[in-house]
Amino acid sequence: MPSTHLFQQYSLAPRTWDEMYENENVRDQYQNVFDFLQGIPPDELSKKEELAKKLFMSQGITFTVYSSGEGVEKIFPFDIIPRIITASEWDFIEKGIKQRLRALNLFLKDVYHQQFILKDGIVPVELIYSCPHYLREMQGLNVPHDIYVHIAGIDLIRDHDGTFYVLEDNLRTPSGVSYMIENREITKRIFPDLIPQNFVRPVTQYPSILYKNLLALSPRRISSPTVVLLTPGIYNSAYFEHATLARLMGIELVEGRDLVVENHVVYMKTTAGLQQVDVIYRRVDDEFLDPLIFEPSSVLGVSGILSAYRKGNVAIVNSIGNGVGDDKAIYVYVPDMIRYYLNEEPILKNVPTYQLSKQDERDHVLKNIDQMVVKRTNESGGYGMLMGHIASEEEIIAYKKEITKNPRQFIAQPVISLSSSPCYIDGKVQPRRIDLRPFALCGPDGIEIVPGGLTRVALREGSLVVNSSQGGGSKDTWVLAR
Amino acid sequence: MLSRVADSLYWMSRYMERTDSILRMLKINYASSQDTHEEFSWRPVLRIFGSLEQDRVKEIEGSGRKVIQYMVLGRENPNSIFNMVTKARENARGVQDNITTEVWQSLNEFYHIVHDDRLSYQLQHEDPITVLDALIKECMLYFGVSDITMFRGEGLCFMNVGKYMERAIQTADILDVKLSNLAYDLDKPTDTTYWKYLLMSISGYSLYLKRYRSGFEARNIIDQVLFNVDFPRSVLYSLNQLQRYFQRLQSDQNTEGFNKVDFMIGKLRSKLQYSDVQSISQAGLHSYLASINAEISGIGSNLNRYYFAYS
Repeated sequence: MPSTHLFQQYSLAPRTWDEMYENENVRDQYQNVFDFLQGIPPDELSKKEELAKKLFMSQGITFTVYSSGEGVEKIFPFDIIPRIITASEWDFIEKGIKQRLRALNLFLKDVYHQQFILKDGIVPVELIYSCPHYLREMQGLNVPHDIYVHIAGIDLIRDHDGTFYVLEDNLRTPSGVSYMIENREITKRIFPDLIPQNFVRPVTQYPSILYKNLLALSPRRISSPTVVLLTPGIYNSAYFEHATLARLMGIELVEGRDLVVENHVVYMKTTAGLQQVDVIYRRVDDEFLDPLIFEPSSVLGVSGILSAYRKGNVAIVNSIGNGVGDDKAIYVYVPDMIRYYLNEEPILKNVPTYQLSKQDERDHVLKNIDQMVVKRTNESGGYGMLMGHIASEEEIIAYKKEITKNPRQFIAQPVISLSSSPCYIDGKVQPRRIDLRPFALCGPDGIEIVPGGLTRVALREGSLVVNSSQGGGSKDTWVLAR
Repeated sequence: MLSRVADSLYWMSRYMERTDSILRMLKINYASSQDTHEEFSWRPVLRIFGSLEQDRVKEIEGSGRKVIQYMVLGRENPNSIFNMVTKARENARGVQDNITTEVWQSLNEFYHIVHDDRLSYQLQHEDPITVLDALIKECMLYFGVSDITMFRGEGLCFMNVGKYMERAIQTADILDVKLSNLAYDLDKPTDTTYWKYLLMSISGYSLYLKRYRSGFEARNIIDQVLFNVDFPRSVLYSLNQLQRYFQRLQSDQNTEGFNKVDFMIGKLRSKLQYSDVQSISQAGLHSYLASINAEISGIGSNLNRYYFAYS
């Protein structure tokens, strides 16, 4: 019995690109999944949703929320209906991200060396030196293969006409890749056979590519260098991801207290004494990495690790000081960087962005603040944002005050209406807004992007904020082979 | 292997061994409490495994359900199943790259079971034996999965070192409590069920029936529980296994630590091997059992010092 009512409440929002529907018609890439969903009994989908939750729980794909001394395990909400990207869409995205990343790597090298781009006036000097993530400790330092960004998670969104825009470049310690892998595993379990029937490209190769790239960075030319993943520990909300990646790559998962620096060499403390560490894939932020140089109260880092890095005795991934490349004020200049370094036109567009440090742009934004999203340049995760179209009068006034105090810390963008995608919510299929974070890996042999990524979804009706800290969930992301 | 990892595997394993041992002990004690016309006291159980004040012990010692509730779910009891499984899982969570996914999942699922509110209801309203059996099954799953899937390396050695140390301690403790109830008088006449339930709680009943044909006799019980190497929960068996797995850790590095700990294990093992019931009952049963525990805890602190020190 076909359950036609499943899609009855699917009402398209005005001026919004829907991934599944083109007006009344189902897009080709979704037809197969649409027919499949129509063909299964009504209760079955809810059962599948239950099964997915159970699988996440029993496999420990969870994070712990501590309240009143007791930990409660939570799962990152998962929507069972996959997000589908066609082969040609992917082709475009892949080209665009590779181009952007090539330019950003060149930019970081340039900023930390001769600074041609500043001298030529393409990027204003004051923007670099006022960026809290610019680290003078990195100035003049050569990093292996000139690669600063080994792992990037560039966030993409689609406007009402389906055009892809880059929302932000995450060049520091982007997270979420374990969900790309695990979401796929769950889909295999809840929708058996559906993946091969749709010619979906696999994502399981991600850990092996990353491991190959990490090995290539070892400063010691030995047959089996020691590669470790540095985690802040089990209390970190992304701990599951750290453990998964370490396990899938077969490398040691270490905490700051497992490492020690002696004579500018990093060692880990083992049952057989100290063992030299060659490559560190760190998931600890710059400011906590070395209490001698940065935050002195940090217990997550390792004293002296930066001196070992500067001596070239250990490779650190991603490189330190990358924040100057994904600062929201510098984001504005990425298209210019592409033209400057590569002599190419940017493939992926930037969202139009106003810099509030500029008088005329600030005036324009303050006048039209009800149509703007204002963000802090040094925040991420959806914190400290003002959504002009839904904010209250008081919120706007308070925010305006903040802006005038320190305009450099803010940018503004017109409200872009993220594309919508079918989600299974309360027994019905309903549209919800999504973005896309593909994960790009830069190694000595070039840039590789695993066909897939993390699709984040704003599960609240009408919401445009997909961050997990703001009620977001995720979906399995399919890239079709044909 | 990272010192922190070795430490976590060792403790994960100790907590699970203790969990298993306590669950079996609870089950058999509960069964035995259903099989007597006299008042059954849980005082010995609370004394070895609990951490309650005298008044609180008096309050609940007569109620099997209350004791089981306290021993399984008591948040304030460090030896409750709830707390030990939580700690075992926390240790496992920190070393997921050093255990198989199967081991991790078995612990993770066990964790979710003891955190489920239904467990408390079941313990209060349903048959406790059925509930305890279900929990024991989770332990068996963990032991089976560890045995079948764990790679034969340093990690498994540290797990087994922890497991057999804990087992030796548990067995010695349980025997000590049973004997203390008789004031260590081996000739004091006892009900046969007294010893039967002790043996059942450490899965040694059928072996005893086959091996010692003269009925339930305190000296035979002590012989089996301490010295019988065919009995997998005996102290000597545990020490043999401890020695076996510890010696696999020998390498060119850390020879000082290895020699020290190896010496201590060997010494304790010999002490057991060359003792018999007669000699130890002359020297004093309680002091003998207490000295076993003290020596094992000495081995523990040296493992800590030479193998696990990382901070």
